[in-house]
Amino acid sequence: MPSLSVKHTAHAAPRTVLVVDDEPTARMALAARLKRLGYRVIEAGDGKAGLEALRRERPDLTILDWMMPEMDGPSFCEQVRQDPELLSSQILMMTSQDQPEQIAEGLARGADDFLSKAASKYEITARVQAGMRTATLIRRLEDVTDQIRRKQEVLEQELQSAARYVESLIPASGIVVPGVQMVQAYRPSLALGGDLFNIVRWSDDFLGLYLLDASGHGVSPALRSASFATFLRRDSLLHHVGSNDPGAILTEANKQFPLTDNGHYFTIVFASLDLRRHTLSYATAGHNGALLHRRSGETCWMAKPNLPLGFDNSTTYVAEELPVALDDRLYLLSDGLYEVPDPTGELWGQVRLDETIRRFGDRPLAEVVSGTIAEAIRWQGHEQFPDDVALMGLEIAV
Amino acid sequence: MAMHTKERPVPNGVVLEMTGDLTYANREQFKTAVETIRQKGCRHLILNMAEVRFVDSSGLGLLALVSQNFKLSQGKVSMLKPQSYVREIMSLANIQKLIPVYDNEQDALAGQQRAA
Repeated sequence: MPSLSVKHTAHAAPRTVLVVDDEPTARMALAARLKRLGYRVIEAGDGKAGLEALRRERPDLTILDWMMPEMDGPSFCEQVRQDPELLSSQILMMTSQDQPEQIAEGLARGADDFLSKAASKYEITARVQAGMRTATLIRRLEDVTDQIRRKQEVLEQELQSAARYVESLIPASGIVVPGVQMVQAYRPSLALGGDLFNIVRWSDDFLGLYLLDASGHGVSPALRSASFATFLRRDSLLHHVGSNDPGAILTEANKQFPLTDNGHYFTIVFASLDLRRHTLSYATAGHNGALLHRRSGETCWMAKPNLPLGFDNSTTYVAEELPVALDDRLYLLSDGLYEVPDPTGELWGQVRLDETIRRFGDRPLAEVVSGTIAEAIRWQGHEQFPDDVALMGLEIAV
Repeated sequence: MAMHTKERPVPNGVVLEMTGDLTYANREQFKTAVETIRQKGCRHLILNMAEVRFVDSSGLGLLALVSQNFKLSQGKVSMLKPQSYVREIMSLANIQKLIPVYDNEQDALAGQQRAA
């Protein structure tokens, strides 16, 4: 038995070489030589059988004759490079004439290296080992790519489960209290932006409404939003703020939620609807997403420039008050709804959003909400919003 | 667009010349540039925004963070010549309340002297 065998300590199984040659004598001689070097050898007598063996056995290296009936060596290479499953195979092409132009053609058509039929035992060993080194690197790259892809899938699943969790915190459309109907639409982006809205039911004729946005993307803003939403629950507000005034609530929230070490923060609009006095008072922190659509047809944005939460802990947020009437509608919305670019990059913008809502007139609230989202989608030309989109509409019917 | 920064010492402060976008993607670079200046004991950082095209929500947060950190070390931050779009983003969030905005360097430096 041979004494020249190559030890493969790192691999339990011997590495495999596929030899494709139509001349049985030459093929068997090379196969015997490779076996003596310690490789497992598969043989194929023509290009077609070679491709089948390549597909079936996935050898580490293929040694290929140039001249063969039916499918020659270069055509074999071309087939391999067009097949996504096989294209990273290492191919060493054998040739009897090592003309530079012929070598160039072989390389151009997909071979990785050349081996002269007249090569010495030493050269064969060296070229096969070089091919094996490349094959090992490619396998490793493919393994790492696979791992990254799997991790990416896990991350995306986590984002989706975080999105579902955020959605579970959002109120369903319906009658909130007698005389107030709410219709909402929520479209978390793939990247998850941390938008959240809800209603605080102080009593049957006094409601708190808010829409907040945590800066950043991913699971972390979603969790920070959820934590903020916990602070904004009725019992928590009674305990921490002791008031249902939007200004007092934001002033306290500003102290409770400082900037994170990475400079992340919240913007929010918080409104209180008093159905007995027919007033709406609101305060904003870096947010300009509340629109009042009056029964008369006119609209007004409820916003004034104000620092986002956490920017300056001495900020006092002061509520503004507006009268509201029967059939007025209030919309709270995230900037992700109107900051959508069309294919040329132009943003839809607040003005077009405002026009869209006015154009719907007194159509049913559910139609306005879904129609407004549809209009933003039409503007950007596709369904997937770049940022979270939230829209909560309320109609006052008492 | 990537961000480039260059610091330039002025009497009683440092001007940070900024080029590019102040966004999430460039946050580490901006933070490092500013922290380096602060740790050298600078009391007045002047951010020259003339060549900054865009500031996103992460960028706003970074500006607030920088302003807070300078305040903690008895310093202050001013802003020079923001472009109109950036100026609009800043004013919606009322950033000029934290970081005064100036149209020229002399005024920015004088602002510091008045504050002292």
